Amino acid sequence: MLTAYIQAAHVEDPGDEEPAATRERLKDRFPRGATRRMTQLGLLVGSVMEPLAPTENDTLVYASEYAESRALEGFLDSFPSASPTLFQTSIHPSAVQQFLIQRQQAVRTFFPMTGRENLVAHALQVALLADTPRSLVCGGEERGTWLLQNGVASARTFAFSLSLTKEPGNAIGELSLSETDPAPGELNLLRFFQALRDREPLLLNAAPALRLTLSWR
Amino acid sequence: MGPTAFNSPVRLAAYGCLTTFGDTASTHRALVNGERALRQLPVLGREGGDPAPLALCPGRSLDEAAPPNWLPFVRQLAARLPSDGWGSPRRPVYVTSSNFGVGSLYAFRRTHDPSHLAYGTPSACVEWLRHELGWGPNVTTFSHACVSAHLGLLQASRIVSAGLADEALVFSFDFLSPFVAGGFHSLKILNADFPAPYADRPTGSIGLGDGAAFAILTTEEKGDFCIAAQSVHNEMHHFTANQADGAGFAACIRPIITATADRRVWLKGHGTGTLEAGRLEAGALGQAFRGAPLVSWKGSLGHTLGSCGAVELAIAAESMRTGQVPGTIGTRPPVFLDAVACETFSHAPYDAVVCTSNAFGGAHAALLLTPAPC
Repeated sequence: MLTAYIQAAHVEDPGDEEPAATRERLKDRFPRGATRRMTQLGLLVGSVMEPLAPTENDTLVYASEYAESRALEGFLDSFPSASPTLFQTSIHPSAVQQFLIQRQQAVRTFFPMTGRENLVAHALQVALLADTPRSLVCGGEERGTWLLQNGVASARTFAFSLSLTKEPGNAIGELSLSETDPAPGELNLLRFFQALRDREPLLLNAAPALRLTLSWR
Repeated sequence: MGPTAFNSPVRLAAYGCLTTFGDTASTHRALVNGERALRQLPVLGREGGDPAPLALCPGRSLDEAAPPNWLPFVRQLAARLPSDGWGSPRRPVYVTSSNFGVGSLYAFRRTHDPSHLAYGTPSACVEWLRHELGWGPNVTTFSHACVSAHLGLLQASRIVSAGLADEALVFSFDFLSPFVAGGFHSLKILNADFPAPYADRPTGSIGLGDGAAFAILTTEEKGDFCIAAQSVHNEMHHFTANQADGAGFAACIRPIITATADRRVWLKGHGTGTLEAGRLEAGALGQAFRGAPLVSWKGSLGHTLGSCGAVELAIAAESMRTGQVPGTIGTRPPVFLDAVACETFSHAPYDAVVCTSNAFGGAHAALLLTPAPC
């Protein structure tokens, strides 16, 4: 069984907030002028990561199924004169990179992940197997527009972060993954976000053969 | 705590790759013979655009079809996997790519044909591949641009070393599309020139290539090679540039230097053909491994993006197996480092290879490949 202690958990749940409104709401959390170039997901991931003060020696795991949907839409719309800015912004881990590059914060081990039903379980497995004293797990989605209309973007905007350690310290919760029967998983990213937001305990198959226990103190 | 390597050796039980030249043996043979797979093709496929060096699998069009026209090549590679049962709890699969089927979204935007949508997102693309290749559901997906494959190798190593799996399959792929070629062309690093990695010339250029590869890792005594150490580092300095002093390259390599101990190594660098990154990489590698021959194969194969770490691992292993190491095709002096090997050379004086890859955001990855036993 793999176990870690939750030292902190943060969420952003902006509902139907448009990117411009998110930018305005969070502009004081970032250096002046920086938000102009940030995506909505970048702003939200930055907002939930900032209190964790990432360091070079953390393992960082990022989970998103669709990632930068708005930048991807913009890049696709920019053809045949493809936009270089939107190209680089649309690349999967851009949300995290926007935040860390702005802070010039190196991080040794960074695992950007994607997927669907098993994404949460596998992201946590990466974090729990890490060799660093602290692992940070973050993730989220941003609501698409025309990609959403075609069923290939998230309908919800949200972000979360978790700080995990191997020692209990002043933990606010505990996470563990254990081997179990190969029944299908039932924990997608949105459901995990909701559990973090509501401080809800979980005991379920998060992926085939992986049972997740999430408890709060 | 400074940067450290993952130093639990794992066995490379099997490996294979697929490039424009074909399978591992064909690719290695073509590289040894100094052949270049890259051809000047329009970056937007049938829509035209500027010519740029692209290397596509034989008979494949750059334009996306539904299902994607690269499926037969993936099948061809998967048919060489030495066993089945992949994607079960004890035999997990780690899929890594930078672009997955995103070219299908470009095709949808251009044609409005909804049949393309089934392959356009990473999760949909991997789920489709999983069914096509008969894998179970235990599939983990990493996407970190051009170091994606290294992350798959690292996590696969951790899983088998922790005793949580018997064997782990890392399966990497990236096939070109107008989306990808157009994006790199917009960054102005994909131009009409063929790449010349590590060459000191006025203008840099890269080429892009189709690529796919697999590596099977285990702690059991299988296969002729070991991945003896792995290291990663993320500068987070700039999206498309590295720290000017090369500190990011050095930070990633540092733990690997310790792991090489007194081994005699040659170096398989990232070497895309861009000037600044090539200069920094060659400088850092030259300082860390004085006199060790440095090669890049992207001047022939093109940059196979998220698959490059696994494709080049397979070619490096094949080089050790056959005793012939292909040189840096497309490059002639002057070069950034005297140790850049432009011609094929013998592996005989060496007993290990350091393989490195780099990516957007100042991401770096390195591994040490040695003969078995580890």
